[in-house]
Amino acid sequence: MISITGLRKSFGAATVLNGIDLEIRQGEVVSVLGSSGSGKSTLIRCINGLEKIDAGKITVDGFDVSKPRELSEARKRSGTVFQLFNLYPHMTAVQNVALAPIEVLKLPRMQAEAEARELLHSVGLTERADAYPSQLSGGQRQRVGICRALAMKPSYLLLDEVTSALDPEMTSEVLSILAALAKTGTTMVFVTHEIEFARSISSRIAFLDKGQLIADLPTEEFFSATGMALPRVAQFLSKMRKD
Amino acid sequence: MRYGDFTPFDIVLLLQGLGVSLALFVSTTLIGLFIGTVWAVIRFYRVPVLMQLVTFVAELLKNSPVLVQLFLVFFGLPAFLKINVTPTEAAVITLSGNSAAFIYVIAVSAIESVGRDQIEAARVFGLTRWQILRRVIAPQATAFAIGPLTGLLVNQLQVTSLISVIGVMDLTKVGNILNLRTLKPFLVWTAVGLLYYLTAKLVTYAGARFEKRLRAHTAWKGL
Repeated sequence: MISITGLRKSFGAATVLNGIDLEIRQGEVVSVLGSSGSGKSTLIRCINGLEKIDAGKITVDGFDVSKPRELSEARKRSGTVFQLFNLYPHMTAVQNVALAPIEVLKLPRMQAEAEARELLHSVGLTERADAYPSQLSGGQRQRVGICRALAMKPSYLLLDEVTSALDPEMTSEVLSILAALAKTGTTMVFVTHEIEFARSISSRIAFLDKGQLIADLPTEEFFSATGMALPRVAQFLSKMRKD
Repeated sequence: MRYGDFTPFDIVLLLQGLGVSLALFVSTTLIGLFIGTVWAVIRFYRVPVLMQLVTFVAELLKNSPVLVQLFLVFFGLPAFLKINVTPTEAAVITLSGNSAAFIYVIAVSAIESVGRDQIEAARVFGLTRWQILRRVIAPQATAFAIGPLTGLLVNQLQVTSLISVIGVMDLTKVGNILNLRTLKPFLVWTAVGLLYYLTAKLVTYAGARFEKRLRAHTAWKGL
């Protein structure tokens, strides 16, 4: 379980997260929605320890991410997929995927690379396994990014606007993989602007506005009268649907 | 044959001088590479005190003439510490230190050239700082550094000629001797200059080859 209590984070004078309480249990797919600048990405970056939190507590399976000793354990349990892929440009797709298993899990290179190939095969990149990131399309790069996260066999997958840098065709490539993952029971925290997709795969929706969690509802409730009763949610949804 | 004529032995003399210059260049480059890289790693880890010390020493070495440094090591150190420093030792110490300072600067900017986003990705997957340095940063930083490094080394090769003033029998010193004997400065210094030129060209060529090899297997030239 990922447990977030009283989380506060500011950058200088700007408060980005202002008291967040959220729990993500094993097997859930929680989509985090909200307009740009509402703190969605920062939330992910706090969970994986890339940002130091100012107040509150985040634990991943009981490991406190603000304690350096426990952070490495917490990190072993979650895998992050980034908006801009963040692949290592000097490594092939296979090497990108196998790096952390080799270095962190201490798997033998042969085994790690065989597993990496299998993962790449499962996302339809069998032919591109030995290509460098610069030789791949955006959608292919993000699929490598997903494999890289899955290679660590994480209990939780943290997805930070993973389709925002992709065109619609590539977006659907990536989303179909995520849909398949959701079906297999992978726990996901899914920060996104893809409202309809979020609705189709999530068990719950968390809605952030100006650094506060103003809704945390089961998906169908969020999109029904209960969610619409919240002015900010109604405004957001009508605006997103128009676009 | 008069004393002032050129003899076939002069060619051997020139080549010996070239050998001394090259040996000094290669050894001080290797020592400089080692020290400069260690300094850059100290900075990467932000080791307190050591980091400030390294920056200070590198600044001193970069911003004072090599000839002054050479005199300080050759004349100053023996007088101050009451030890004996041979011309070759003084040359190796000075040139190594000088190369280290400039290589440090190149290594630091090469490390900083690697995108933060990749480093964040590696951190998130639990790689230690050392693993990130070795597997993610170093390969890319090396490719980045080869260009500026080649430029620096060509310059450092020319700088070795300064050591002739403290009596090391390098290429320039041999030129000086031949010049005094034959009184044909135009011929002698053309030959000496040409030898430096050819060596420098060789360094540039080797650098370009190495860079091409480092980048050929990746297609991220535009990065």
